[in-house]
Amino acid sequence: MKTSQAGLIPYPIQQLPAATALVNSDFALVQASDDWYALFGIPQSKKSKVPIFDFYEGHERCSKEILQQYLVGNDVRTIRHGKNIGDKQVWLESIFAPWLDQKKNAQGTIIQVRDISEDVEKDAELERMNNLLNATSEVAKIGSWEYDLVTEKLSWCEMTKKIHQVPTDYKPSVAEAIEFYKQGYSRNKISMLFHNLMSEGGSFNERLQIITKKGEERWVAAGGKAITQAGKIIKIFGTFQDINEQMLAEKRTRESERLLTTLIDNLPINVFIKDKDSRKILVNKAECDYLEVDAKQLIGKTDFDLYDPNVAQKSRDEDLEVIRTLKPMLAQETINVRKDGSITHFLTSKIPLLDLDGNAYGLIGMSLDISNLKQKEEQLRNLINVTAIQNKKLINFAHIVSHNLRSHSANFSMLLDFLSKENDEKEKTRIMKMLLFASDNLMDTLENLNEVVDISTNVNLDKKSINLLSSIERVQQNLSAFLEKCGVTVIKSVDKKLNVLSVPAYLESIILNLMTNAVKYRALDRAPKIVISAQKQDGFIVFSISDNGLGIDLKRYGDKLFGMYKTFHDNKDARGLGLYIIKNQIEAMDGNITVTSEVGKGSTFKVNFNDQTQ
Amino acid sequence: MTKLNSIYIIDDDPITVFGIKKMLKTIVECPNVKTFENGKLALDQIMDELRKGIQPPEVIFLDINMPIMDGWEFLEELLKLDIKEKIIINVVTSSIDTSDYQRWNKFRINCLHYLNYKNKPIFSIEPTDLKRINLAS
Repeated sequence: MKTSQAGLIPYPIQQLPAATALVNSDFALVQASDDWYALFGIPQSKKSKVPIFDFYEGHERCSKEILQQYLVGNDVRTIRHGKNIGDKQVWLESIFAPWLDQKKNAQGTIIQVRDISEDVEKDAELERMNNLLNATSEVAKIGSWEYDLVTEKLSWCEMTKKIHQVPTDYKPSVAEAIEFYKQGYSRNKISMLFHNLMSEGGSFNERLQIITKKGEERWVAAGGKAITQAGKIIKIFGTFQDINEQMLAEKRTRESERLLTTLIDNLPINVFIKDKDSRKILVNKAECDYLEVDAKQLIGKTDFDLYDPNVAQKSRDEDLEVIRTLKPMLAQETINVRKDGSITHFLTSKIPLLDLDGNAYGLIGMSLDISNLKQKEEQLRNLINVTAIQNKKLINFAHIVSHNLRSHSANFSMLLDFLSKENDEKEKTRIMKMLLFASDNLMDTLENLNEVVDISTNVNLDKKSINLLSSIERVQQNLSAFLEKCGVTVIKSVDKKLNVLSVPAYLESIILNLMTNAVKYRALDRAPKIVISAQKQDGFIVFSISDNGLGIDLKRYGDKLFGMYKTFHDNKDARGLGLYIIKNQIEAMDGNITVTSEVGKGSTFKVNFNDQTQ
Repeated sequence: MTKLNSIYIIDDDPITVFGIKKMLKTIVECPNVKTFENGKLALDQIMDELRKGIQPPEVIFLDINMPIMDGWEFLEELLKLDIKEKIIINVVTSSIDTSDYQRWNKFRINCLHYLNYKNKPIFSIEPTDLKRINLAS
């Protein structure tokens, strides 16, 4: 039986180009090809019938029990098993098939083995790649899709489905896929891009919005690329990425950027950012408006390009100090002079900009235009000055009043004291006369004071435009008798069209006083001459009256000339009031009066009438 | 009765002049009482008399507010003159301005003459207004 069996074996088994073995029903090797031995090695056992299990000794995933199962059966069975050759893992595939004789009786098993190491490795690599792809897809939320133009079949990957929020068994059609895009721009755009790709080829990548199955609106990046074969588009492969978070974050960034820009641009403060070399790297609208140029033209400029050199140097010094010390400069009053010379007052702050290491890489500056405030401050200061002067005048006036009234009352007291003690009738009459005289004096004084008070309290001055020459002529007419008696020559060089702004009564008082003074203090050794002139000058009408009289020692009396009750000549008519009164009148009309004089030669009084209506 | 050679009254107010003269009559015997309407006139007189070798007045009644040359200016000019004798100068004023008093005090400290400060109204003339005991002599 056994010989007959052996006789059945065709000789060429040994030469089969594959590792092949014949095993009898007792699981012993009957015969094997050379390749079998090359793969499994020649067994150590000297037995004629080597059990097949010996060959598989030490193979992975292949125990004796498993082999026994595989060796029996009428079908073809396959098993994969590993073997270590040296430090190399070799994967083998054994195929078991029944060994039948001519009468189809089972004789044993035919085993064919092939080395499948490469296939296994490839499979592992493929699985690794797939895993990697899935992981990448999962992490980056990038899905893919594929459209076959031949079968007209669209397929989505897991991620693409997940993004659409459809179940994994969902099978999309092109029409449905396009329906997912938000109606309007997104849907129109994808439809156009897809059809273009089919007809023209090429690729696209677009950010669009979809409405998911669950009705959520999401931003996606859809990409597509046409695959051509032999000049014909056969497939479209595409990516599909969920960029909703990214888009929302971008939107938020854009919104906060806009908020910041809107805020900075609309601040009524000049804002600028400078680098270490004091070059502007950011400016706001207020700064551009102030410098009257576009932001683009300001970037990269330094203060030396924009301002007066001195101002620029000062600003540069401030910048350097802030960058060096890292201490902010806060609310410093600064003056900017632009190239055209215009001056602006600012309240400036400079704050160092620090990088992550704490080093300054520039500074942020803020300047508030306080020119208006400065101007108001200046006005206020002027007002304080005016008030202080007026106050001083009032105190002075109060002293004059108290002095004058006191001296009269003192006289009364003294005279009454005399009178009460006097017995002599004749002396009594004399004292009575003195009392009457004192009483008259008091009345005069009170009248004078009244006149002064009138001017000082007359705050609602009604200034009118009055013809100067006719006013002079009217005064001259009134004084004609006096002027004639003294033989005065009056020379007038006044434009007959010239008008002055004045309170009518004041103008007359001023001309009358100055003309009278010019005659009163005439030099007796020469014929009196008065020269009157007037001209416009810097917003004033300068009215000038010169005489050839005694003159005044201005060194001695200059500061007292316009004082109350000051007389400087031995003249019985002098009351010491005229110049005091007209000075008050002129100043009440925002004008001023000056005098030049030389003893023995004459005097010139100049009245500046303010010609500006307020 | 005090006896004096020369008294000057420098005041532009005739009533004050009248009063001072009247009060002087009762306590002093003086043949030479001169009145001046302002400081300039008095100063001119003193300088004129100094040139002639006549002694300056022993007592002066001096008003402050006067035209042409007021009391202060008169004092300033007087101090420039070469006068050895001590003059009693009574500054008579109705001013209650403290700056006038301070100015008087400055003069009092800086000059060799005797200076009195008399506020109007004056009802009497004190002996010290006319005579001082010179402790040095």
